[in-house]
Amino acid sequence: MTNSLKVERAILDLTQDDLAKKIGVSRQTINSIEKNRYVPSTVLALKLSALFNKPVNDFFKLTEED
Amino acid sequence: MSIKKIIACERRSLGKVSKFQLPHHFKKVGWVLFIVSFISLFASSIIITDESLKSTIVVIVKYTMLIGLLIVSLAKEPIEDEFIKSMRMKSYMIAFILGVIQTLIMPFITLGAETIVDGGSTLKPVNDFFVLWVLLFCQILVFHVFKSTAND
Repeated sequence: MTNSLKVERAILDLTQDDLAKKIGVSRQTINSIEKNRYVPSTVLALKLSALFNKPVNDFFKLTEED
Repeated sequence: MSIKKIIACERRSLGKVSKFQLPHHFKKVGWVLFIVSFISLFASSIIITDESLKSTIVVIVKYTMLIGLLIVSLAKEPIEDEFIKSMRMKSYMIAFILGVIQTLIMPFITLGAETIVDGGSTLKPVNDFFVLWVLLFCQILVFHVFKSTAND
């Protein structure tokens, strides 16, 4: 799975720390999601979706490996 | 009580136990307990001369060392989110596997070493304190490594 979390974060002019605080997670979590080392839960994906005001599919994409 | 109700009750109980954690400040408490116990282990062998008292104190100190490590292991992070929980679970899994492998392999390593040094020995099981110490220490170490690499 790939994601464009970094781009969406840049659009809102948020640092990793800002974004982490807004959705109640640690900065490491945001960093790991951005680097595709961690796939977030549905709850976290929906929190991001609400914050970015976009559907989850817009910033999380399945790859051929999935 | 039907079997289904018993299973549901057991599931709820296991769910509560698996979620049990201590507040973050307990991490410091655990480390202090471990370090004080570790120092006491060496100090007792120098200060106490009575062999029976010494052996009793060594057992107590070893237990407090393990309790200290267990407290560190169970203490929450400042932000205990799903990613931290997944790393914690992975660290427990790795520590468990390493603990089992170590328990299976160590008697043969000890036997081999003693055979080379003394020229012969018997196969002895691994000391329970050593197994628990390795389990807890591996979990804490692996969890720390996971957390550190998450920052990169």
